[in-house]
Amino acid sequence: MFEKVLIANRGEIALRIIRTLREMGIRSVAVYSDADRAALHVRKADEAVHIGPSPSHESYLNVGRILQAARCCGAQAIHPGYGFLSENAAFAQACDDAGIVFIGPSAASIGRMGSKTEARRTAQAGGAPIVPGTEEGLTSATEAAAFARDTGFPVMLKAVAGGGGKGMRRVDRAEDLFSAFDSASSEALRAFGDGRIYVEKLIENARHVEIQIFGDRHGNMVYLGERECSVQRRHQKVIEESPSPLLARMPGMRERMGEAAVKAARAAGYYNAGTVEFLASNDGSFYFLEMNTRLQVEHPVTELVTGLDLVRLQLEVAAGGKLPFTQADVALRGAAMECRVYAEDPANNFFPSPGKITRLSEPAGPGVRVDSGIYAGWTVPIDYDPMLSKLIVWAANREQAIERMLRALGEYHIGGIMSNLPLFQIILNDPAFRAGDLHTGYLDQLLAAGIDFAPPVAEEILPVAAAVALASQAGHDRSTSAVAQETSRWLAAGRRSLHR
Amino acid sequence: MKPVIQIDGQTVDPHPAADVVETEPGSFSVLIGSSVFEVWASESHIALAGRRFEFSVEDPRAWKHGGAGGGVHGKASILAPMPGKVVRILVAVGDEVKQGQGILVVEAMKMQNEMKAPRDGRVTVIAVAVNASVTAGTLLAVVE
Repeated sequence: MFEKVLIANRGEIALRIIRTLREMGIRSVAVYSDADRAALHVRKADEAVHIGPSPSHESYLNVGRILQAARCCGAQAIHPGYGFLSENAAFAQACDDAGIVFIGPSAASIGRMGSKTEARRTAQAGGAPIVPGTEEGLTSATEAAAFARDTGFPVMLKAVAGGGGKGMRRVDRAEDLFSAFDSASSEALRAFGDGRIYVEKLIENARHVEIQIFGDRHGNMVYLGERECSVQRRHQKVIEESPSPLLARMPGMRERMGEAAVKAARAAGYYNAGTVEFLASNDGSFYFLEMNTRLQVEHPVTELVTGLDLVRLQLEVAAGGKLPFTQADVALRGAAMECRVYAEDPANNFFPSPGKITRLSEPAGPGVRVDSGIYAGWTVPIDYDPMLSKLIVWAANREQAIERMLRALGEYHIGGIMSNLPLFQIILNDPAFRAGDLHTGYLDQLLAAGIDFAPPVAEEILPVAAAVALASQAGHDRSTSAVAQETSRWLAAGRRSLHR
Repeated sequence: MKPVIQIDGQTVDPHPAADVVETEPGSFSVLIGSSVFEVWASESHIALAGRRFEFSVEDPRAWKHGGAGGGVHGKASILAPMPGKVVRILVAVGDEVKQGQGILVVEAMKMQNEMKAPRDGRVTVIAVAVNASVTAGTLLAVVE
């Protein structure tokens, strides 16, 4: 096993990886940009190396600086996390060339599945059904228009190098196609350094169901159940859960999807953790969407229902080990659910809300896991994704998981900045969500219908708020002097004892 | 003189039976009889019962909240809600716009946010150029 591993990432996922490394007795090396000197992952790692200015292309995307950091501190392997360089085949190859283990699949597999168009061809060759779409990335909107004319609207524009909803646009009318193509292409270029776009037929009212697969370098591969990620806003996942309410009521569907996912991954010569995404219909049919060649943001949901530590497995497989179990050993237990907590204001069109976190109170208790990258007193930088943490719960069944999530949300307070916590309260209380009646347009429809983020409150709430307003004001006048006095008394006592 | 407390712009008297204890800076435990309330307060906001309220206590030293954004005399200012960069301007001065129509696009935290017209009217000011960096509260455009 490795003695030292560098984490080429930041935020909650860097913390998540550091925790498993520490449990395994492996030293962790964090990297950080100017903006992240005081970030939590730097505080919690064993070692930390500065890799450049705040913009990610000069730091977290800077292959040269990251490899240099790994060489300097003697790291034998690099965990890329998700985002940044995690699906960059050139980076995986550069690690290989430098004699450093890339914790993930081979550069060849990433290249193959990372290109969305090539992934479609590979999956099809492996026997997985695919959504009708163009075979190649397009260079102009005219070609997209030709495809749309043939298959009919709506269509979906997607970045060839895409992921995370970046460079993706739904187009309903021919007249919108050209502006959508331009904006998707420029967004893709900024996000991935590759502006190529392809087009797919949009399958309406489909669910997003993905299969976690895991392979070793000895030809063993398993699927670890599914995650349903149909609750999305602008193609960004908001809530993920396992099991999928659909698969839970469709006998044999999990096995069919799992086997299709394993076939697609095998066709790419895949090993380590990967996720095969499908669009699934309520009639039990499903289509290959894409493969994510990395650990996913929502992997904790799978960890909670399988009882596995996927990061530990990644490390074991990357070090040349065999999968310590077979498909027959994989058992799913209970229900898990994850809410992605973002620094954004749901009541104000989801505007990003960076700034200083003045207070933080995180939920705890039975079945609650918080994978967080923040602390009170830290300023959320404007340079990166606005995700703050993930709140994950496990319970015996879906209904209890929802109640547990609502309980945990009630304990969660992030002060000083706006967060999307109020949105989860609304979704988890929505009858359609509770019934598991989901599709990828579900949340956009709920939002379009208009949500009242300021419903009437019980009559004593405002007088209680006023009482606290008064007390906090009084406390303010007092506190600065009181705290200062107390501090100086302690300091004075300390100095006295030193001089004794 | 009794201080005047405003909660979300509405004058509210503090609960006469509230037992308020500051358990740690900014965190309050409130009892009304045996009913428990957990409350968090910053300088301007209170979080309670899953809601967030803006508050002020009238005090000559206290921060005075001015009305931002306008709406006065049929004029609506579009202000940058956060720091970012102007990436696109979608209209020109003199254009007639409908409420909800995109005026310009500001990128922040890797997300492009379209700033929309708050009302129907004519664009009278575009105060920024493409690629301009803006801070929170910067005037971007005016619709009259």
